[in-house]
Amino acid sequence: MHRKIVLAAVAASALLLAACGGSSSDSASSGSSESGGSSQAAGGGGEGDCPGPDAFCIGLVTDTGKVDDKSFNQSAWEGAKEAAKATGGYAKYIETVDPKDYANNMNQFISAGYDVIITVGFLMGEASVEAADAQKDKGTTFIGVDQFQADPIIPNLTGLVFSEDKAGYAAGYLAGLMTKTGKTGAVLGTDTVPPVKLFGEGYKAGALAANPNVEVTLVYHAPDNAFNDPEWGAAEAKKQLAQGADIIFGAGGNTGNGALIEIAKAAGAGETIFCIGVDTDQYYTVPQAQKCLLTSAEKKLREGTRDLIILAKDGKAPGGNYFGLTGLAPYHDTEAAVPDDVKKKVEEVVKGLDAGTILTNVTLG
Amino acid sequence: MSTMDPSRTDLGFSDPDPRRSGPLDRIPSIVLPIVSVLLAFAVGGILIWLQGVSPLRAYAVLFSNALGTPEGLLRVMEKSTPLILTGLAVTVGLRAGLFNIGAQGQLLVGAIGAAWAGYHFQLPLIVHLPFAVLFGMLCGAAWASIAGVLRAYRSVSEVITTIMLNAIAIALVDYLASEPLKEEGQPLTRTPAIADSAALPVFGIVPSGFLLALAVAVFFGWYLTRTTQGFRFNTIGLNPSAARYAGISVKGTIVLAMAVSGALAGLGGAIETLGVTGRFEPAFNAGLGFDGITIALLARANPLATIPAALLIGTMRTGAAALQFQTGIEPEVVDVILAITLLFVSAPIVARLLFRNRNIKQTTVTSGWGS
Amino acid sequence: MRARYAYALAIIIGVAILVFYAMDQVRTVSVLSFSLRYAVPLILDAMVGIICERSGVINIGIEGQMLMSAFAGFFGAALTGNLILGTLIGVGTGMIVGAFLAVGAVTWKMDQIIAGTVINILAVGLTSFFYAQGNVLPGSTPIVAIPVLSDIPLVGPVLFENGLFTYAALIIPLVLWVLLFKTRWGLRTRAVGEKPSAADTSGVSVQGLRFWNVTVAGLLAGMAGAYLAIEAAGTFERGFTAGRGFTALAIMIFGAWNPIGALGAAFFFGLTQGLASQLQADEVVAIPQQFINMLPYVLTIVLLAIVSGRIKPPAAVGKPYEKD
Repeated sequence: MHRKIVLAAVAASALLLAACGGSSSDSASSGSSESGGSSQAAGGGGEGDCPGPDAFCIGLVTDTGKVDDKSFNQSAWEGAKEAAKATGGYAKYIETVDPKDYANNMNQFISAGYDVIITVGFLMGEASVEAADAQKDKGTTFIGVDQFQADPIIPNLTGLVFSEDKAGYAAGYLAGLMTKTGKTGAVLGTDTVPPVKLFGEGYKAGALAANPNVEVTLVYHAPDNAFNDPEWGAAEAKKQLAQGADIIFGAGGNTGNGALIEIAKAAGAGETIFCIGVDTDQYYTVPQAQKCLLTSAEKKLREGTRDLIILAKDGKAPGGNYFGLTGLAPYHDTEAAVPDDVKKKVEEVVKGLDAGTILTNVTLG
Repeated sequence: MSTMDPSRTDLGFSDPDPRRSGPLDRIPSIVLPIVSVLLAFAVGGILIWLQGVSPLRAYAVLFSNALGTPEGLLRVMEKSTPLILTGLAVTVGLRAGLFNIGAQGQLLVGAIGAAWAGYHFQLPLIVHLPFAVLFGMLCGAAWASIAGVLRAYRSVSEVITTIMLNAIAIALVDYLASEPLKEEGQPLTRTPAIADSAALPVFGIVPSGFLLALAVAVFFGWYLTRTTQGFRFNTIGLNPSAARYAGISVKGTIVLAMAVSGALAGLGGAIETLGVTGRFEPAFNAGLGFDGITIALLARANPLATIPAALLIGTMRTGAAALQFQTGIEPEVVDVILAITLLFVSAPIVARLLFRNRNIKQTTVTSGWGS
Repeated sequence: MRARYAYALAIIIGVAILVFYAMDQVRTVSVLSFSLRYAVPLILDAMVGIICERSGVINIGIEGQMLMSAFAGFFGAALTGNLILGTLIGVGTGMIVGAFLAVGAVTWKMDQIIAGTVINILAVGLTSFFYAQGNVLPGSTPIVAIPVLSDIPLVGPVLFENGLFTYAALIIPLVLWVLLFKTRWGLRTRAVGEKPSAADTSGVSVQGLRFWNVTVAGLLAGMAGAYLAIEAAGTFERGFTAGRGFTALAIMIFGAWNPIGALGAAFFFGLTQGLASQLQADEVVAIPQQFINMLPYVLTIVLLAIVSGRIKPPAAVGKPYEKD
């Protein structure tokens, strides 16, 4: 008998607790997106709940990652927030835990009447095509970041794609001009992910174009856990440094970031030893690496996402593939270490790549 | 082989003893998991409250979205299917005194096996679908049998071998999907899509794989309690020396139990491939096997009880996206709640609270590493 | 019998290293440094496993212990702005989680595998739920070159120019070996792990010794976590321990529950990783990396299958002690 009483008491206390939480937290929950351990509750940004059908609402679904991943999810989310500010709209995100939920997560936004849905990462490519196709005549626009669109083109889905090989090439070109030891290396995520391989091979091609005598070492992590092994990245970077490389490109999420952080610890970092980041200007996303960070091989993902959303607001999202810009981030703290003629040459190469007068000749075999 | 003291195995893994099958004694086995889940929700509620969200609202969102829409229900059923089966896989092991931590690896192997059988052959549906399902089960069974044979004939703990086999399976399927079984002409690490003749159909909003999982759970409810073989599993689980005395082949039964356990996990993987993802892609099957441990313990190794346990977890995992969408709570809160549930179910904290005047015997479901 | 194979393997590897060193000093030293670095957390974690199992308690929660310690160490250091304080917090967290396991597995006599599983699942959930971006360590730990020793060719730059945790990982196995096999504590610990009833009869507190051994072993898991977050990677990311705690279990077994054996095994597996990355870098041969990663596990299973009769875990491991 008394067992049932205990059970009832426990259940009641659980409910009571929940209810207390409810009443006392209403004041806290409104407007506070900074509470608790998580810095981004309730969507963050210029943003919040979609107030109604008249408002311009932007929804973002991450790849199996978080919006604070210091990488493409984060950049895309920042772009969405900027676009929300620029258009007076609202932005919100859902973080995918299980890749089988891509469609389900998009549906959260679709059924809430969101105008633009951004799906991040090439793994979501097929799910985006399916969802966009189903919403073709219903006024929802899709933006697929890193998702190359093959025929047949879905009119309401635009793939925001980048020529990673160009960004890698420009970074490699800079490294080829800057290296004093004649050796440069790259610590990369897995070569089974195309953008990573394009970055790596582009880097190699660029370095060799700048100086055919440069030795370029590319090392990829094993596919399992490829983007979340910073200690492996750090150890690999240190090994390459010890073998005489003086500029190292880290490209592979947290694995690459581990390489950057390690290089910043090396003697001579920022003077004779440099690191190059990837995707975004990592001066801001990996502050520990500021000392050695020469530049970052950027995909202007934030800008591309923002611009496409703004286009979508006016019903001008092109559909098919939209090539975002690539380039190199500012030199920041290493500005003084880069000679002016190097800067000039690199600038020309970046322009040439954009204009198509310089080809990287990188293909995925 | 360790001798397991039956008095210490009190999780209700065994067939109910006729002498204590009165209604009163059956209560604890239901009360404990329910109270544990409620308490875990209370603790989770505190975490949610700390994030500035009303726990009541959060839980309402978590469940209403998953259960309130047809798509949500479909996803709940899809998500619960491999959980029921990995839960059953762990359960069958536990009944036989084996702790199969390797459901994850067996599921992966089963999933890629079913994918291969599904795309490599062109057969009529009536042959192809059962063949692909069975082939996936066979792969899972074979993978688990490595641990079973080592346990039976070399006295190597199945716990350690299944941990090792998980790691090997993760690397192996990744290799297979990126090299020999990779779909040509595209960059992703994945196999080709399965043929239509190997796809598990969806009836309305009810996936046939879910029905299959339910049927399997019911079957094992009967099999483990009402058949000779089920009796053998229980006997070697409870008291291997008595089993040997009774003329049961302990070694053979251990191998069989591991194989059956692996086949169940492999079936979970096969249904994922043939009914949900349509091909094998390594990232699509992460973490399912580990939920199986939580489910089996929550269900107290009762095959039928794995169904509600799996549905609970499947519902929470389905609702997590809506939770984040509507309240901003991160989806990881589900993992925290599940871990606390597992803690309360397995540690005697709750049991002592509930049954203060009883001498609570602790559970030992596993034997040592190699003994 | 088995030791002879181990010595033979060690000698072969040693000779091979010398040959490579003669051919290319820079590559050899840097590959060996990579290998040692890879081995450090594995060594510390394997010691945790050895202490626990020698006492009769299975600890499969090492991965979770390490993850929580790394989390606490990193955020402790980042939020207090003090590396030493953060390190202490990290190491202390390892011990607290160790005490948690001790309460569950020893005091409450929970199933030890379940207790460890709870720790692992809880660690993943809690650390990813409370993770917050934008925290940075207030500096990095020093690399200490030991005078004279660090000038020795080959050995010097690999072994004697490292961070403090690396030295700890090299010394602790030796200390633990002495403690286990040459002291009263070691004798009692092994007795408790092999034949607890006999130990009990001779006046050893089985429960007490197990409790404290498991708790204190947590310190080492804490060191492994603090090493990863503070000394080695210099960052914390969700799930970044990447299964090292499970690899350590394989190493513990491969080393036959012997601290020195585990030290050797950890270095051996570090070497396979180092070699694989170097072969890839030099474009000699690209072994599918999946095979390198599964190597420790495959070898452990093969070893267990072959020598199961001769290499045995402590007899009472996994069984809560009940007084008769």
